[in-house]
Amino acid sequence: MKGFSSKAVHGGGAVKKDAHGALRMPLYENVTFEFENARAIQFAFEGRSLGHSYTRISNPTVEDFEQRIRLLTDARGVVAVSSGMAAITEIVLVLAEAGANIISTKFLFGNTYSLFEHTLKPWGLNVKYVDMTRTEEVEQAIDEKTRAIYLESIANPQLQVADVAGIAKIAAASHIPVVLDGTVTTPYLFRSKDFGVAVEVLSSTKYISGGGTTVGGLIIDNGNQDWGKCPRLQEAAQKYGPHALLAHLRRELHRNLGSCMSPHTAYQQTLGLETLALRIDRSCENALTLARFLQSRPEVKAVNYPGLETSPYHELAKAQFGGKYGGILTFTLTDKEQCYKFTDSLAMIRRATNINDNKTLILHPASTIFCEYCAEEKEGLGVPPNMLRLAVGIEDVGDIMDDLTQGLETL
Amino acid sequence: MTITVNGEAQIWESEEITVADLLTRNKVEKPEMVSVQINSKFVEKQDYKTKKVVAGDEVDFLYFMGGGKAR
Repeated sequence: MKGFSSKAVHGGGAVKKDAHGALRMPLYENVTFEFENARAIQFAFEGRSLGHSYTRISNPTVEDFEQRIRLLTDARGVVAVSSGMAAITEIVLVLAEAGANIISTKFLFGNTYSLFEHTLKPWGLNVKYVDMTRTEEVEQAIDEKTRAIYLESIANPQLQVADVAGIAKIAAASHIPVVLDGTVTTPYLFRSKDFGVAVEVLSSTKYISGGGTTVGGLIIDNGNQDWGKCPRLQEAAQKYGPHALLAHLRRELHRNLGSCMSPHTAYQQTLGLETLALRIDRSCENALTLARFLQSRPEVKAVNYPGLETSPYHELAKAQFGGKYGGILTFTLTDKEQCYKFTDSLAMIRRATNINDNKTLILHPASTIFCEYCAEEKEGLGVPPNMLRLAVGIEDVGDIMDDLTQGLETL
Repeated sequence: MTITVNGEAQIWESEEITVADLLTRNKVEKPEMVSVQINSKFVEKQDYKTKKVVAGDEVDFLYFMGGGKAR
């Protein structure tokens, strides 16, 4: 079994068989698990036996989802969490301590920037922002206190694409793990392990959930990092060797933060995973058609989509993502007022903040996910006031185009 | 010889055993998902058949549930 969808649907040898032969892992919507005797429960708590004890730490339905992701990514292991933001929080906290730093792309998802600047900075985290398309900036920013390099596979909503393998090569020379947010590509479009990424984090709320069904996140340890050379994990590496990151998460940080994925979410997202490739193919195809259409319209000042030959990232994106470019595009109109008028005129396209839903969604990023920043910060983050984000769904492309057309004709 | 496995004394007639022998005798569940420690030091999976366990050693089999696999 080699294909992505076959593995997603069947799970291969990675998943356990149900006790009753159910063809789909049932929803274990329970909190706790019983043991035969006191010693057995002691061993479970000590990690000396294989078994679930408490759903905040692990659960059969969540484990089934994690194992399917592991199979699809050829990773060492996967931890499913409550949201994409929880995944980012956990990985930063496990790798960096107060006084240390991470090097981050300056083109970030708004809430990630807020997490770094407003939530973690007061606890002593330093973040150095660089232009990831200039690998020399990454190299120059590394110092003895750098604990991770953080970037997004396709920056949302700036749609910048960096040379991931080039950055990973620089990071490897200093034994620094590259952490990549692969939300908008998923392992279907981008096998981060093949490009030297140590840990991939995702918001599984997006493409994977199957149509905006549930909020969730994933931490994927690709198994290619020597955790013994990462200061925060040296002790764990002496005990757990290559499993240091997973063990530290499972036996301390993930357990203590309580940011577990619910069994219900895991059940829904396992369903979503089965149709992931079909939905991504459709949304990518729609997005490219719509990007070209918008380019042809006089009302539109500019269109940004890595699938367009005019994008400065087109060739790199083509090489990294196998000729598909994701389901997000942005375009600019004259000003913010025009953006609002256009948004309000749409009939089928929904006004909502999400991406990679089955439905096409429109959003004005500057006044929503970047609303807490001043004009200069928004400029620096690549979010101008006259930009709209179209998160393309899987509807019939003609209907999306019709709606965009009638909206543009109101301007 | 006597060794300690997961906190319990275990007597072996042979004076020379390997981690692989221990995994078999103790019927370790899903050996691909276990981390083996001897005297609190991690043992690489590729060394299971050659790594000797001697009298007095303390051996622990440790799991971290869900989503992981040893290589």
